[in-house]
Amino acid sequence: MSRSTILASRVVALGLAATFAGIAYAQTAQEIVEQTDKVRNPTQPFRSTLTLTEYVGGKERDHDTLVVFSKTDSATRQFRNLIQYVEPARDAGKSVLLDGRSLWFFDPASKASVRISPQQRLIGQAAIGDVLTVNLAVDYTASLIGTEKIEDASRQQKECWHLDLKAANDQAVYNRVEYWVERESFHPIKGKFYSDSGRVLKIIYYRNFAERLGGIRPTEAIIIDAVDTSLATSATFGDYRFQDIPDAWFQRDYLPRLQTK
Amino acid sequence: MTARACAIALVILVAGAGAAGADENKDLDLIPEGARQSAASSTEAPTTNDAGQRIYVENAVTLASRRNGLLVPFPPPPTFHWQDRLFLDVRKQWSPADRVKLTYSGRLNVRAEDDLSSPSHENVIHDLREAYAGWEPLDGTYIDVGRINLKSGVALGYNPTDFFKTRAVVEPLSADPTALREDRLGTVMVQGQHIGQGGALTAAFAPRVSSASSIYTNTNLPSFDPMFDRTNAQNRFLLKSSVDIAEGFSPELLLYREGSQTRLGANLTSSVSQSVVAYLEWAGGRRASLIDDALRFGRNTGTLPSDAPSVLPEDSHRSFQSELSVGASYTTATKITFNFEYHFNQAGFSRADWNNWFGAGRDSGASSPVARELWFIRSYALDQQQQLSRHGLFLRADWTDAFVPRLQLTGFVNTDLYDGSSLVQLGADYHLSNTWTVGATVVGNFGGRHSDFGSLPQAASFLVKIARYF
Repeated sequence: MSRSTILASRVVALGLAATFAGIAYAQTAQEIVEQTDKVRNPTQPFRSTLTLTEYVGGKERDHDTLVVFSKTDSATRQFRNLIQYVEPARDAGKSVLLDGRSLWFFDPASKASVRISPQQRLIGQAAIGDVLTVNLAVDYTASLIGTEKIEDASRQQKECWHLDLKAANDQAVYNRVEYWVERESFHPIKGKFYSDSGRVLKIIYYRNFAERLGGIRPTEAIIIDAVDTSLATSATFGDYRFQDIPDAWFQRDYLPRLQTK
Repeated sequence: MTARACAIALVILVAGAGAAGADENKDLDLIPEGARQSAASSTEAPTTNDAGQRIYVENAVTLASRRNGLLVPFPPPPTFHWQDRLFLDVRKQWSPADRVKLTYSGRLNVRAEDDLSSPSHENVIHDLREAYAGWEPLDGTYIDVGRINLKSGVALGYNPTDFFKTRAVVEPLSADPTALREDRLGTVMVQGQHIGQGGALTAAFAPRVSSASSIYTNTNLPSFDPMFDRTNAQNRFLLKSSVDIAEGFSPELLLYREGSQTRLGANLTSSVSQSVVAYLEWAGGRRASLIDDALRFGRNTGTLPSDAPSVLPEDSHRSFQSELSVGASYTTATKITFNFEYHFNQAGFSRADWNNWFGAGRDSGASSPVARELWFIRSYALDQQQQLSRHGLFLRADWTDAFVPRLQLTGFVNTDLYDGSSLVQLGADYHLSNTWTVGATVVGNFGGRHSDFGSLPQAASFLVKIARYF
């Protein structure tokens, strides 16, 4: 067998392997996202404390703290979230209900509950808690672009699936998401979130994987504002605990009753 | 394709994938220097702050300009030229035992005005907004007893179903309806509530513990007095229920009884699109007109002579009258939220009522009984938080992170549809840090002399403030 024949047969074999692997990935892209959703958040109801550090022009500016109560809706498989501000002090006690189409904001100062639109829920730091707990596999249809080696937030090379997520229903906050998931571990490494016009709005890096609530999960995310790249936020999940959260909590009338202590 | 060509193509593909990865790595340069190190050490350090409390100190200085040449002269004393208010505002909850909650909400004001003599008891005023105990005897069932601010309504500019708003607003620093809801007294009541999976049911009874008093002005407020005469001068009962009918649609129905009057109410909201929420708030019941209610209240409390006829036509006839707020909110991608509402108060001033009001007061003196009675009717509407005119429009805009992060701009226009006159307010709040906020507000009443807002004694005001949160 000549050298060129050997080379050709190896190339063909490699090509076939890549093709079959591609088919396998195409069949499982949605499952990859599902698995990664389970890595990011447990399936049982839980609460956590989200500490947000905001950077402007590279300098640390503000700290916000939110308590997030999360529970999967058995009908939609999407998370229902109740979020309460703890810091800054001027916002303490303000609460947000984010449950499918039922979105309400409560201010204890005016004791008024105001219904908000999906667009309005993106205003304010509570949106970060919502974005980080969303089950992407429910709201998006995934396809595999390929495999890539990219650096994670700690500049470590990671062998990743590169996935393309398209909004599958009107509950999806973003029109499209590019998603990098580490092979084998299903650890989310990076996400790019796009507007309807195709503009990158946010870039999220996941890091600081640690044992939390029965799994190895990212406990920190760096969220970069891709529209104004001088703005970035570090979001750290802490004080994780399983908590029984009654379904009755996820309605407007409960917001004034929500207590974090 | 030759084997060599295949190999080259594969190399190009692999090299291309590598280049894509390299491009992605450029995004890492956008991570701020301070965030490049993992925050692992902070993950298990929950905050020591408490979401159940908000405490702040604020100083606000207001300058106001009076309008000359009023068509109906304003009776003395005139409104202030300047005011300085320093206050400590506290809202705090305690949980002394499992399922038990204690709440206090109040404001201690120290104020100086050009129309107040100093020092006097008028310089120090305590507003007791809330003080109550709550108990959850069963999961989802709550009983609260004490002074409670019970609010209802889904509209922003005018809330017909907010039945406990009457006479409750104390010394507001802003005309913004959202601020008016903050600066108000609760009502002494017993409240029971059950929140279930498919909805909620609330019942509240507020007993009469005091007799009705005259309308307060900024120069006769008591220093340390809960002012139950404002909030508990009648037996009042409220029953309201919300039911989840469909995903995201849970209408609220209300039944309210005050003295011998019964009113019904409803609140509806719907998410129309990604950016738009529509809402409707309605209340209705048999009642007299606003003018007749005001005259009766003035006579009962001794503010108006009980034996003298009114200068305006009187009609004590009661009929079913409605109040309505219908509108929508729209939020842009640039973080601006607009609220646009139409307001209707059937018991309010009609065009004929306005003509009678201006006609009766046109030639009166400022200290005359005629001027006093006419302005009393308007101050009654304000005290009751009731829209004076029958038809009004309300537009509000709220811009978060306007131009720069942490700058919040707010503005609203309240327009009387009979004459086009408007109340306009523009405000800016800038959060210097997590604990310091500075702000400024400008308010103007615009319109002709023969109009709702153009006939008010205050033409404009300007406020600057600084607040420190703890």
